[in-house]
Formats: sequence, C-alpha cells, structure tokens
Amino acid sequence: MIGYILTNEEYNQVQGQFYTPEQFFNCVADINGVWYLFLSTQDKEDILNTSWNWILTLPEGEYIAPPAPPFPPVV
Amino acid sequence: MLFPFGFLQAQGPTYDADALAFFARVTAAGGSLTLTEKSAVNTLVLSMKANSIWTPMKAIYPMVGASAAACAQNLKSSSFTGTFSSGWTFASTGVTPNGTSAFMNTGLSPFVQMSNFSFHHSVYTRTLYGTSQGIGIFSPTRVDMIVSGSTIYSNIGSAGTATATNSISLLLASRTTATLNKLYTRGILRNTDATLLSVALPNANYYIGAENQVTPNFYSNTEIALSSLGDGLNDTQVSDFYTAVQAFQTTLSRNV
Repeated sequence: MIGYILTNEEYNQVQGQFYTPEQFFNCVADINGVWYLFLSTQDKEDILNTSWNWILTLPEGEYIAPPAPPFPPVV
Repeated sequence: MLFPFGFLQAQGPTYDADALAFFARVTAAGGSLTLTEKSAVNTLVLSMKANSIWTPMKAIYPMVGASAAACAQNLKSSSFTGTFSSGWTFASTGVTPNGTSAFMNTGLSPFVQMSNFSFHHSVYTRTLYGTSQGIGIFSPTRVDMIVSGSTIYSNIGSAGTATATNSISLLLASRTTATLNKLYTRGILRNTDATLLSVALPNANYYIGAENQVTPNFYSNTEIALSSLGDGLNDTQVSDFYTAVQAFQTTLSRNV
C-alpha cells in the first residue's frame, strides 16, 4: 500500500488535526517506525484547496505494516 | 398560485419526527440524502418503534448520504455525532475504511452511557472481513468484535467465540444479564457465553473500523452499511432488528 511519508515534525503538525468538521488526519508507523499518512481519493479532494494541500506534495512510499495482532485477541 | 381546496395541493412525504430530526442534522452538517434514503430511514425508524427496539438504542449510524457529513450523524439523537479519520471512502452503499489507518470515533463511552449488564453493539458489513479486524474497545476492559475470516470473537466483559458461515450482514453482540452474553449473525443466535461478568465496561470511546486500544488496532477494510450501540437486546428484539435493518438495506439496494 502506498502512502505519504512524513517526518516527525510533519507528523506532529498533522496528527489529529481536523480538515473538515467531521474528519481528522490519522498517521500510522510502519515496521521501522516511519510515519505514513493514507488518504482516500475523497480525502485528497477535500484538502486540495485548503492549507493542508502541501501534504499532497510529500514523498510517497510502500508501507510495510507491523505484524498483525494475534487472533483470538489476548485478554 | 392559491389553492382554494386543500386537496389540490401537492403533498410531500410524511416522515416520523425522529427521522425528520435526523434529516435536519444531515443537512445542517452539509450533507444530503436522496428521497429513497429518506424513505428507507423513515421506515427503519417506524419499524424499530413498532418493535420496541427504538428506546434501547443510544446510537444508530445508518451510513447514508455518501459523505462524511451525513454518515457521521446519529439517527437516534443529536448526541454521539461521529468523527472519521482520514482513509475512508463514502458511497451510497456504505462506508469503507482502508484497513490500515482509518477508524470512526463515535464519542460514546460504554462505561459512562451504559449499564454494566445491559449492552449491545452491532455492525452491518457488506464484505467479508480479513484477518484480525474488528470494532469496539479494549481499554483496559473490552467491548469488541474481532473477526478473522469466518470466526467472530465477541467480548462484552467476558469472552465468547462463535463461528459463522461468513462474517457479512448484521453482526450483533448483546449482554442482558451478568451471565448472559450472546452473539448473533443475521439475527440468529450463534453463541451464548455464561461467564460471570466481573469487570466494568471500558471508559473509552467506541470505534468503528478499528478497535480502540488507546491507539487504534485491528483496522478493518470491510464496507459498513450500519452500526448501532445501545442497551442489551433479547432474542426477539435482535430478530426484529435484523428484519428491520435488512428491509432498510434492501430498499437501498445494498443488502447482503
């Protein structure tokens, strides 16, 4: 899965910030602790003409997820 | 133009007051609904009221309107308007998280809003779950449904596991007493867990599209076409709820 790659500074800038009244950014760390942001096509349209549009210029890369949590979940 | 006789005036559809209030919240948020969606929602409300399912509900997200503004709205009341993280796709058939980073925060804490011995949660999924995906909370106690393919792991304070033929359509877990925790799919009872509940419900916000473990986990990528939270439902109420929800989805041509 391809996502936008963020520096720690960029992560702190966007994480949890609302870009519409009902939508906020959520970044996830890959297996190496690098921050990624995944935007749907609709998300990209939502931020295209906002102050967040710089995100669309960030470098993109292949996200390698951390190992999946165990199933059944550990109680 | 003046109409001297009332019967000559064009009459719009008549809606239930709670359905109308929901439509107003959608509009106020900047969303919109088709006439078919309004009709389906109205019928859902009437059916739930007729079958004594409306009152137990705290939150119902019908996922109509194909936008975040519309899908964030709670049908039951103006409380618990949801918020979506980045990574969702909104369509007339429902809402789809990306399975990697997307979740919906309902703003509803079971510990604050629910009785410890009366709780249900449900999700109507249109596509099969993948590996270790789910909804709910684990912080530090749990209210969740974690699915891996056809196996559903349900927990409302104590754990019960059920295997269904598949994990699409309406998945619903309901606790009605300290020792009665049931799991249903398609309105049919699949598992009863009689373990004595000895912990409080979690005091954290309920998530859809992932599980709230302080940070989200168990991200899912299945399309969701309704979700509900509320008091515990008995077997008859669950069956009636499934019938009402399935009729709702059929009207919207998105039933599975």
